[in-house]
Amino acid sequence: MPGDPSLSIIPRDPKFRGLRDYMISFFGLDRPQWEQFVIYLQRLFTLDWGLSYQDHRPVADILLHDLGWTLLLVGTSTILTVLIGIAIGAYSAIRRGKPFDFVSTGIGIFLYGMPIFWLGLVLQSAFRKNSVFQGWIPWWPALPTSGYYDDRLIPWNWDILHVADAFLHLLLPALTLSLGTLAGISLVMRNSLIDVMTEDFVTTARAKGLSPRQVLRRHILPNGMPPMVSLIALDIAFILGGAYQVEVIFRYQGIGFRTIEAIGSLDYPLLQFIIVIGGAAVVIANLLADFLLLWLDPRIKIS
Amino acid sequence: MAALLEVRDLTIEFTTKAGIVHAVEGASFDVERGEALGLAGESGCGKTTTALALMRLLPYNGRIVRGSISFAGRSLVPLEEASMRAIRWKEMSIVFQGAMNSLNPVQRVGRQIAEPIILHEDADSDVALKRAGDLLELVGISRNRLNDYPHEFSGGMRQRVMIAMALACDPKLVIADEPVTALDVMIQAQILDLLERLRRELDLAMILISHDLSVLADTCEQVTIMYAGKTMESGKTMDLFTDPKHPYTQGLVGAFPDIRGPRNMPEAIPGDVPSLISPPSGCVFHPRCKFAFDRCSNAEPELSELAPGRRAACFLYPEVTEVPGRSMPIATR
Amino acid sequence: MGTVEVVKVGGVISPFRARAIVVGRRMQDIGLQVFHNKTAMAGLIILIFFTVLAVAAPLIAPYGPLSAVPDVGPLTLPAPGHPFGTNQFGYDIYSQVIWGTQISLLVGVLAAAVASVIGTAVGLVSGFVGGWIDEVIMRFNDVVLSIPWLVLMIVIAARLNYLDLVGIILVIGLTGWSVTARVVRSQVLSLKERMFVERGRMIGSSNTHILLRHIFPNAFPLIFANTILTVAVSILSESVLAFLNLSVKSNVSWGRIIAEAYQHDALTIGMAEWLIVPGLCIVFLVFGFYLFGYALDEILNPRLRRR
Repeated sequence: MPGDPSLSIIPRDPKFRGLRDYMISFFGLDRPQWEQFVIYLQRLFTLDWGLSYQDHRPVADILLHDLGWTLLLVGTSTILTVLIGIAIGAYSAIRRGKPFDFVSTGIGIFLYGMPIFWLGLVLQSAFRKNSVFQGWIPWWPALPTSGYYDDRLIPWNWDILHVADAFLHLLLPALTLSLGTLAGISLVMRNSLIDVMTEDFVTTARAKGLSPRQVLRRHILPNGMPPMVSLIALDIAFILGGAYQVEVIFRYQGIGFRTIEAIGSLDYPLLQFIIVIGGAAVVIANLLADFLLLWLDPRIKIS
Repeated sequence: MAALLEVRDLTIEFTTKAGIVHAVEGASFDVERGEALGLAGESGCGKTTTALALMRLLPYNGRIVRGSISFAGRSLVPLEEASMRAIRWKEMSIVFQGAMNSLNPVQRVGRQIAEPIILHEDADSDVALKRAGDLLELVGISRNRLNDYPHEFSGGMRQRVMIAMALACDPKLVIADEPVTALDVMIQAQILDLLERLRRELDLAMILISHDLSVLADTCEQVTIMYAGKTMESGKTMDLFTDPKHPYTQGLVGAFPDIRGPRNMPEAIPGDVPSLISPPSGCVFHPRCKFAFDRCSNAEPELSELAPGRRAACFLYPEVTEVPGRSMPIATR
Repeated sequence: MGTVEVVKVGGVISPFRARAIVVGRRMQDIGLQVFHNKTAMAGLIILIFFTVLAVAAPLIAPYGPLSAVPDVGPLTLPAPGHPFGTNQFGYDIYSQVIWGTQISLLVGVLAAAVASVIGTAVGLVSGFVGGWIDEVIMRFNDVVLSIPWLVLMIVIAARLNYLDLVGIILVIGLTGWSVTARVVRSQVLSLKERMFVERGRMIGSSNTHILLRHIFPNAFPLIFANTILTVAVSILSESVLAFLNLSVKSNVSWGRIIAEAYQHDALTIGMAEWLIVPGLCIVFLVFGFYLFGYALDEILNPRLRRR
């Protein structure tokens, strides 16, 4: 195995040998790897997820704290993305072949291919203090580009100052993540709605004398939503990947930021649990999506 | 008194990547109050397009280039969209082919039937739903099923729901576009009986569109035969069936086995409906016509009166004239 | 032998040649459609540009990827001779960007090839065999799909203690096949229903024969289009790994150039090109693959074409 975690816990110095041996046996690093893994699995089911090599706190405690911030970031940006994505997708579906459709689809595919970390870096440079744009445009805002609230406000406290500051710190990361995932959603929304628009019941709805807006809201959108929900659920792994990059760039101390730190210190209990959490997030997202679909589409039955 | 619906020289084109599709050219017909008109012809000959044009529901790439539609004294072609919306379903409604797709799959049928009532009659939803229940019973479905979704109905039942929906606002005219095509024969007969009964009870005018002449035979007073976007022949149903004038009509009538007559194998018309992007010169039917002669490929026959109420567009009859200015093939655009 | 037998009976050409002609004609037809499709052509032009850049890098780039510009120190501002400036070791950034094209294309294409081969094999077997094997494979596929791929890649890369070129290709390829498997499976399912497969079976062909001679050739264009899209995703994955310093150390890639620009605060010291240009390169290359892949998909997928 490359990288000996014990070295990251205890310095390689003879005078620490006793402590090191103790730590190795404490964390079970002296046992064969398969045995370590079986023990890990056993503990997984008994909700004992091990201690971090780093600060010896339970892995679950550390990650629960991080998870909150990651959920805030992913949640905000997903809601933002879905709302804007649906609006853009719907509008370009109606204006199919017109300039708006052409431009939004072009920009969409362009954004779709943009590495999220790079987008984050560019936005960070554009909105930092004394950015180039501030030289050109006097009212250009400077936004916080790192952390999730001002260091001077420590410790975290549920007062208006903290919440407002946390919101400010959330702006850029959420914007980056939204822009990075927006294109996929609006493109699929567009195609899905165009699909629905060719259905006969849409002609029926128009024949009833409904206005285009009514047709869209009552008949097209409700039928375009189910595929969107499945898609977003499928994409959750991708969105999480984006969130990781954003957290690293903006030093936003959620799970992604913690992952990079854990890699640096070879903190395997932490890393393993991060993967478990990631998988769980995807499973939970898909379960939620299934429930949502059940509600959105009467043709789906519990089997 | 003028007919309820008067269509004159209706001409519709679609712009596609491959070129301009001449979907309907010069369609003219009348529908009197309480009367049923049949539109017949093979698939892709412009029947559905005509129906959609009557309600001004052509897809975004289609447009009416020429002609007039006069409905209950109003001219529909120049009418602005808002006034047209007020006419749709209130005065003229439509039943589409294959009711599976014509009903919104994620909305309860009760709401779908009630929707136009709420929209056009300013009814509140309780009143509208009660009406929807009455309508379901009118077409032979229990009102308990108001809260069901379309997929919970069989094909024939869905078509009944569609018909109930079409009657929601007491329209003057109902267009039924291939209302029985996807259904099996027993259900076809039931639905046609239902349409016929409702038409008499409610004194509806109706346009019945089908590629199947036998569907039109018992229901319609008048029949118009279309081919490749053009009207080939029109007249009273009985006359047309017993003595078809146009070779195309003869082919269509011949294509159906006569269960009463001697057992002849139905005779198919050879060939396919031509491309509507570059239609054949002269009479559009001449490439498939066994009676075609020189004039047929050079000049276009005009739909001319052969007898009172009886018109055909075929040079086999001396009364038929040429369409002026179109004796040479139109340059392909 | 199915349809081919008929040609053979005619005694004019061999079955192999007959198939070659049929496939060739279809490819020709697809090629013609690509040529007339503006989106596909735009994508293709971008791809040709970057391919030329990658192949001709030794001719175009003034300096090697890891060789210092003589007489110029580290972190110098853009100037003639080194238009994007030099990095922290005094290397020419302009040359590095050109050399970086090689790694991005190489990793992208090869990783996508790995993913496509695995995905195609899984999809073919799963869709064709059906039954409980299909069920098991698809459930496994769901599990793979539900793993946050980026984290997995990062952990694998970290565990292997930095990856060489082959390692990075394998990591990206091995984590990216599940979408392909799904696409191929659904295509196989619809092809299976088609008449000629039935005919092929009635004549007594073996399953392997039907799979390889009838289903695979018909699914191939779609697999190809899907591979093009997978290349785009793989390029993005490589750039993320490189940015996180988990990719090839000895080779210059765009992700790494961006990481170095970020670490040295390129924008503050007036070297915006250092950060912006490699990023735009990724964006355009991926854009090219997406345009080409989507257009190809639209040409090959009749359901989309109807729209």
